[in-house]
Amino acid sequence: MTARGVAGAALLAAATLALPGCAAHGPVLPPVVAQRYAASVELEATPFFPQEQYQCGPAALATLLSAAGVAVTPEPLVEAVYLPGRRGSLQPELVAATRRYDRLPYVLPGSVDALVATLAGGSPVLVLQKLGAGPVPGWHYAVVVGYDASRDRFILRSGTERRKATEAADFLATWERADRWAMVALEPGVLPPAADLGRYMEAAAGLEAVGRLDAAAPAYAAAARQWPTEPLPRLALANLAYARGDLVAAERGYRDVARLDPADAAARNNRAEVLGQMGCGAAARKEIEAARALAGEGPLAPTVASTARKIAALPDRDAAGCPAD
Amino acid sequence: MSKRFVVYVLCLAMLNLGSPLVAQAELVTTLQAVEASTRAQDLATVSTALARDEVRAQFEALGVEPAQVETRVAALTDSELRTLAGQVNELPAGADALAVIGIVFLVLLILEAVGVIDIFKKFP
Repeated sequence: MTARGVAGAALLAAATLALPGCAAHGPVLPPVVAQRYAASVELEATPFFPQEQYQCGPAALATLLSAAGVAVTPEPLVEAVYLPGRRGSLQPELVAATRRYDRLPYVLPGSVDALVATLAGGSPVLVLQKLGAGPVPGWHYAVVVGYDASRDRFILRSGTERRKATEAADFLATWERADRWAMVALEPGVLPPAADLGRYMEAAAGLEAVGRLDAAAPAYAAAARQWPTEPLPRLALANLAYARGDLVAAERGYRDVARLDPADAAARNNRAEVLGQMGCGAAARKEIEAARALAGEGPLAPTVASTARKIAALPDRDAAGCPAD
Repeated sequence: MSKRFVVYVLCLAMLNLGSPLVAQAELVTTLQAVEASTRAQDLATVSTALARDEVRAQFEALGVEPAQVETRVAALTDSELRTLAGQVNELPAGADALAVIGIVFLVLLILEAVGVIDIFKKFP
């Protein structure tokens, strides 16, 4: 082989490694779909906004939000997520912008199974892909709107293509290189299929944290129905009652959480705080001591210590009408 | 990170040391409770206030309209701010698929033209 031939062969080998579509692979979708999900799904009603240059973030997000019932086009989203200096959009900002439209940004577990389950459940999925090779960064957002297990293909709204059918293995390779990042936008109160409590509650708490209380409330309520024995959704509802100024409901809520999980330091800390505000200094002292013992040196310790200092300054007695344990 | 920024951060940190505890509700927020139950708190050592200032400055430097910077920062949670701080230039920025394909094609075309590879035989 000539030197030129060697160089050419090396280059082709590199291209084979870097570009999806050249590598041999087994079927992706059939084993996942196998009798558990519909053989093919296509959410045809999902709108499409062809992207302007570099602006697949706003375009993909507009597609996702529209499918979740928000009347929005990419233009106003450019101001919300596009970073001119990066010529692109960052994942946390897509998540944040979803909240601005009162939708729950649920980041999926990075598995084909979760992707298929979500599509079969009727929600399009926004994905990050890495299309570039080597030093060329090729980060790209697209929206998966369906799959066809018999042809082993995913169907995407991508860039300027309204309906792009991609071999599942090719898609998987580009998704893999983006750490399999995927999110859905849900109407508050709707749970994703096979929802994970921690992921779901993080998304719902994000709505509350940025002040979208009216969107957080139905999201928490749905979680409390879905996981009736879990303390976290109930703690969330009690925190929301507090945020709305309803001390009595908040106190009752925290007490219920403590009954569900006697080792819940957060519920006891928060109940102590509320009891203090209700003029129940003696009950608050008792509760904050319990919280302190449970929090130990853990992540909640600083907050508990701070509450304890505040309560120590209160009179050590209960006003009339203070709740019993 | 510029030296000026480091100095700025240190000044703020020192100011914080001397500040009295602000009288406010000491509730464990739902987000804190979720994070306490789902992941290690290694990030919590970074002050959220500092992270917010840094993200704000980075957004401005990357050309976000001043009027939009505050709205965008306000839509981020504390943990998102801590993730972004110092990483706005490193995190993946989803952009354009066509540009990438174009560049790869261009590289192949140049290699073909200078005779390193010979894959476009049918197109003289």
